Amino acid sequence: MKVVIVDYGMGNIHSITSALKYIGVDEVVVSHKSEDLQSADKLLLPGVGAFNQAMKNIQELQLDTMLKNLVLIEKKPILGICLGMQLLCESSDENGLHNGLGFIKGDVRKFEIAPLSVPHVGFNQVKFPENSRLYRGLDDKSDFYFTHSFRLQSSSYINAGVCKYGEEFIASFEIDNIAGTQFHPELSQTNGLKVLENFVKSF
Amino acid sequence: MLRKRIIFTLIYENGFFHQSRNFRLQRVGNIGWLERNYKFQSVAFSLDELIVLNASKGDKDMQKFAQTLKQLVNNVFIPIAAGGGIRSLEDAKILFDNGADKIVLNSALFQDRALVKALSTKYGSQSVVASVDYKIINNKRVVFIENGTLDTGKELQEYLEEVEQLNIGELYLNSIDQDGTGFGYDTNVVEELSKSIKTPLIIAGGAGNEKHLLEGLKIESISAVATANLFNFMGDGLPNARKKILAGDINLASFLDKSL
Repeated sequence: MKVVIVDYGMGNIHSITSALKYIGVDEVVVSHKSEDLQSADKLLLPGVGAFNQAMKNIQELQLDTMLKNLVLIEKKPILGICLGMQLLCESSDENGLHNGLGFIKGDVRKFEIAPLSVPHVGFNQVKFPENSRLYRGLDDKSDFYFTHSFRLQSSSYINAGVCKYGEEFIASFEIDNIAGTQFHPELSQTNGLKVLENFVKSF
Repeated sequence: MLRKRIIFTLIYENGFFHQSRNFRLQRVGNIGWLERNYKFQSVAFSLDELIVLNASKGDKDMQKFAQTLKQLVNNVFIPIAAGGGIRSLEDAKILFDNGADKIVLNSALFQDRALVKALSTKYGSQSVVASVDYKIINNKRVVFIENGTLDTGKELQEYLEEVEQLNIGELYLNSIDQDGTGFGYDTNVVEELSKSIKTPLIIAGGAGNEKHLLEGLKIESISAVATANLFNFMGDGLPNARKKILAGDINLASFLDKSL
């Protein structure tokens, strides 16, 4: 099993690398090279930072075209985490309106939940969707670690997991070969390791 | 529901981990010793977060500390905050590059507020934990910096209000008087401050058993309780404490049984 963590220069990849190794993935590669991405069994799109900077880096490395090919045409499984999840969607209004990769229908918008503080940081519960592959073996409303100021909104069916902080928002999606989590599975203890294991085994 | 947290704080000084009492450090062991005797990675499965502080005196060797951090957090799958002696953007970057998800700032909150703001802008306010140590002098809570050795002359409440303006994500409040005593937290402070402080609050200093952790978690305005007590909470101490607390009606995350 080879998982390639897509490297576009943003995000703490230390924990995600050790989490994948911990659950038994024998080959974990961090790369943005076409040949590495091609040879991957699964792709992982991490990310911490600002949406527009991330898209800029992705375009400069021509990862947008590469990923479109691999994910939409070849149907290679991909998991986006936090900002990585947001990048898979259509747009974000972080630092102005910017387009994402557009693989998943939905837009990322800033939380408007005053007087609650933003960012939303900490362990919070996720209500699972029906027929979920990501959450197999976990109890509904399990806890995961979030740290974000922007959240995904979508009116399309994307088999979403739902979290509540002031309002309900999309905590995850899983459609065909594409999955995303707003939370950090690599920082969510055994619950998160289970989600990673499910992605690796069931997508 | 957003959960409350139990945090363990590891105190590092010149290659070794320490038990602290009123900020006087007693050497316990190096990282190999910690892993052998306390099975640190398995203890971490009972935690919500880990804080690692470099309390070395004088010129702190950030690279050496970062190497220990990197080794320590391998197979620890919770958010990690690290700090102690961060004096530049480069210092912070070294810690982020070696496994830290957040950084902890203490003396810089008093000595270099431009740095605090720069770090918060670069990494986001959620990545910056403001650590504040205080001691009661003449019935007033006074803030100390430099590992509790330097009196700022500032009263706690006024200081915290200034610190909150620096766009930090959390406040880590440590009572030097209670530190390492095992007598319980200075919970009075929270009642006095909670009206004026809006930032999520971590309380530290004094927890000796799970009743103290529970006492802190029950206070509405406290987001997290921290302990640095290696003797009381390592080994089975922490897993047992968490089990007991979870059995009560406390808003803590529950995690899948460790065997995956």
